[in-house]
Amino acid sequence: MNHLYVLFDAQCELCVRCRNWLAKQPTFVPLSFIALQSTKAERRFPGIDALKPSEQLLVISNEGSVYRGAHAWIMCLWALQNYREYAQRLAHPILLPFARIVCELLSRNRFFLSRALFKQEAQSVARLLAAHCRPPQTLCSNSRASV
Amino acid sequence: MTLIVWTYIVYIALSVPLTVWVAHTLHQNGRVFLIDSFHHNEQLADSVNHLLVVGFYLINIGYVALALKEGIAPADLRQVLETISRKIGVVMLVLGAMHFFNIFLFSRMRRRALLQRVPPPVPPQAHVPVATQ
Repeated sequence: MNHLYVLFDAQCELCVRCRNWLAKQPTFVPLSFIALQSTKAERRFPGIDALKPSEQLLVISNEGSVYRGAHAWIMCLWALQNYREYAQRLAHPILLPFARIVCELLSRNRFFLSRALFKQEAQSVARLLAAHCRPPQTLCSNSRASV
Repeated sequence: MTLIVWTYIVYIALSVPLTVWVAHTLHQNGRVFLIDSFHHNEQLADSVNHLLVVGFYLINIGYVALALKEGIAPADLRQVLETISRKIGVVMLVLGAMHFFNIFLFSRMRRRALLQRVPPPVPPQAHVPVATQ
């Protein structure tokens, strides 16, 4: 494994902030970020829709291994130089169920949290999408509008 | 020569070799740690080892030199011994603290290096084909 692709939701402020934080950290394994609304996700990983990327965070290795939810978060931490130890701790059988619950709660309430924490408004969704799904923007905005 | 000068001479004669001995120990035994930390890049490990030892010498010899001066001149041999013992004691404590700090640095570097080789802690949950671009 020498590369990890992180599929994040470009419509959610919380996710974009997490993505920006991850992008700033020094890594052991390089991370690439792909907005799940962009055409790049489907182009690079054909059939990714079956894994429901809009429900939980997805991390995919360059070999095609898919990690979902808590596992995806653990893989993100594992890729970071300063947080690999935390990834090991979180992956422990005692902590993993809690991590799973927290990740599920976060994913399910991410729009509520974005509104509550960052005062995300409807018009900023377009701005976020435009920033993370270039080009072409038209293709981007009409895919997976169910999120 | 007065007693205080003898005190100084004995103090230096004891504390400098002590520093050299600790630095030598660190240099010899820290090498293995560093080689492992730097993925068996011996040249780099030796270089870092040398740099650490130079820092160690500078700090400790510097401290020994700074702490040389004694305000009250000893009147007899008993006071000479007491003064030397106190001074050497402080030097040893400083050396010990520095030594443990160095060991801490070595182990942190090594842990970093070991972390780099850790496999993913969780198994993948699915597989997808990856399009080559």
